[in-house]
Amino acid sequence: MPEIDLQEPPELVQSKSTSEAAIECFGLSKTFKTIKAVDNVSLTVPRGSIFGFLGPNGAGKSTLIRILTGLIHSDSGSFSILGRPSSMGYQVRQDMSALVDRADFYKNLSAFQNMKMLGRLTGHEQTDHVNELLNLLGLYERRFDKVKTYSQGMKQRLGLAQALLPNPKLLVLDEPTTGLDPQGMHEIRDFILKIAEEQNVTVFLSSHLLHEVELICSDIAMIFNGKLAAQGSINTIFSNMDSVTVELEVADTPKALQYLETADMVSDLKQHANALSIMIRFDKIPELVRQLTDRKIDIFSISQRNRLESYFLSMMEGK
Amino acid sequence: MMLLKLTQNELFKIFSLTRSYIGLILFTGIVPLILWGYGMGTSHIEGQIENSVSEMFFIEGSPTNGFTAAYFIMNFFWLHIPFLLALVGGDIFAGEHANGTFRVYATRPISRLSIYLSKTLATMIYTLVFVIYFGLLTLGLGLVWHGGGDMLVFHEGVLILEGSDALGRFFIAYGFSFVNMALVSAIAIFFSTMVRNAIGPVIGTMALFIFVLMISTLPLDIFRGIQPYLFTTYFSNWEKAFYDPIPWGDLFRGLGLIVSNLVMFLGMAYIIFHRKDILS
Repeated sequence: MPEIDLQEPPELVQSKSTSEAAIECFGLSKTFKTIKAVDNVSLTVPRGSIFGFLGPNGAGKSTLIRILTGLIHSDSGSFSILGRPSSMGYQVRQDMSALVDRADFYKNLSAFQNMKMLGRLTGHEQTDHVNELLNLLGLYERRFDKVKTYSQGMKQRLGLAQALLPNPKLLVLDEPTTGLDPQGMHEIRDFILKIAEEQNVTVFLSSHLLHEVELICSDIAMIFNGKLAAQGSINTIFSNMDSVTVELEVADTPKALQYLETADMVSDLKQHANALSIMIRFDKIPELVRQLTDRKIDIFSISQRNRLESYFLSMMEGK
Repeated sequence: MMLLKLTQNELFKIFSLTRSYIGLILFTGIVPLILWGYGMGTSHIEGQIENSVSEMFFIEGSPTNGFTAAYFIMNFFWLHIPFLLALVGGDIFAGEHANGTFRVYATRPISRLSIYLSKTLATMIYTLVFVIYFGLLTLGLGLVWHGGGDMLVFHEGVLILEGSDALGRFFIAYGFSFVNMALVSAIAIFFSTMVRNAIGPVIGTMALFIFVLMISTLPLDIFRGIQPYLFTTYFSNWEKAFYDPIPWGDLFRGLGLIVSNLVMFLGMAYIIFHRKDILS
């Protein structure tokens, strides 16, 4: 198990100078009545990264995002976005765009009208630009239909199109795949990767879908009970992980259990129905397979649990 | 420039909502009905007026003409229009909260002051459009239907106003009515910044209006001291535009109180909106 000291999150912090940071938070706090939703959070989001902001429901992810996007006021602390300090007021959001929570629209208007109206606020209402984005998100053919006739997936894509209207340098997405079917989630993921790569947009992605984050993010931060527990690049975090969780399905479970209970390289052995779950160092997995086959234990499947999930759960347990 | 674009958006939103047309449609239906009924059922009134007044004065045209009809309708509706205006003013902030669309706006690089001003301005423009439409419908249609002529006003006896004079006084009356209705919209905006559903502000506005109206009209000694400071005391001030001479002092005193209430409600609304956490 990795040794994690929740009081020392900077252990994993990559040192970034202000000029390299898309977002920097300094001791942000927010309390709702008696609940401390965000507690002294300091965070650095590198420019050009796809940054995954993780935490269980109610951990404080949305509250922090709402502070950054100007929807709520923090009780203390400050932040900067793309080098602009929060003391600049609404101008801090000059090159930032956000899709907070679910995408919402004027449902009695069409997608085209919604886009035009929002584009007008930042001088990006040109019909060509609007059409290009609607086309990019696969909504062009239905652009004149009222939004109330759209499916959840279409609404979410329209939300992304709206977020991209001002050609942002920083895109803040709060649970962008909520309510989508697997295909919709896949499309949004691909789209995020595409815009980050092609348009050099920094993406700050809040999610509790660890698999989704592991697939697309270069950097992550984790928040529990309003406190930042860890932050850094995914590679750094994974290289610091001592062990991974591996799940096994074998032909002879009692025999495998007998071996695994005595194997030095294995820890935290658990049995779930016909499957076995163990903790093992990543580089010891091939040897484990050899040992089992040498003992004539047929292996039906061996799978490593999502590494980020393992890390997340270990943090949760440490909490 | 930004304020102009925001206001344009707000007006577009207001006029794309069905509720914005409820009042206009209602008047489009009921005003012609009243005018028709007015034409059908005033022959005995007309006869009485002519019998009592024609010996002393020569009345040009019918005494129950378009001017008198418009005056009659205004007298009837100044208490009802606030209900219809509250439907739009009450929705202007709360409706966005209910729809979740505030998040879309407020995350853009726009100041809350601009958002607030644009919404307030758009609501006031809607109020003005409403009053103008009401004026056009009552006076315009009234004149077309029942013709012009001298206007009879019953105030401390019978006052006869020449047609050309009456028209000017109607403009003054509509002007003062607009300020009154702008105050109703301001109250609705104030309630709208406080809650997250559109029904509350409509009910709140009307509850406050009725409450203050009752206190300002109840002939009880305990209320007499505060009645001069209540905005509803001056809501029927538009009638004074038809007095001879026009009591400008009274009119502007009432206007001053209405405007100060308007500024107070809009000021409070801004403070609430500026400090508000957008959670929905």
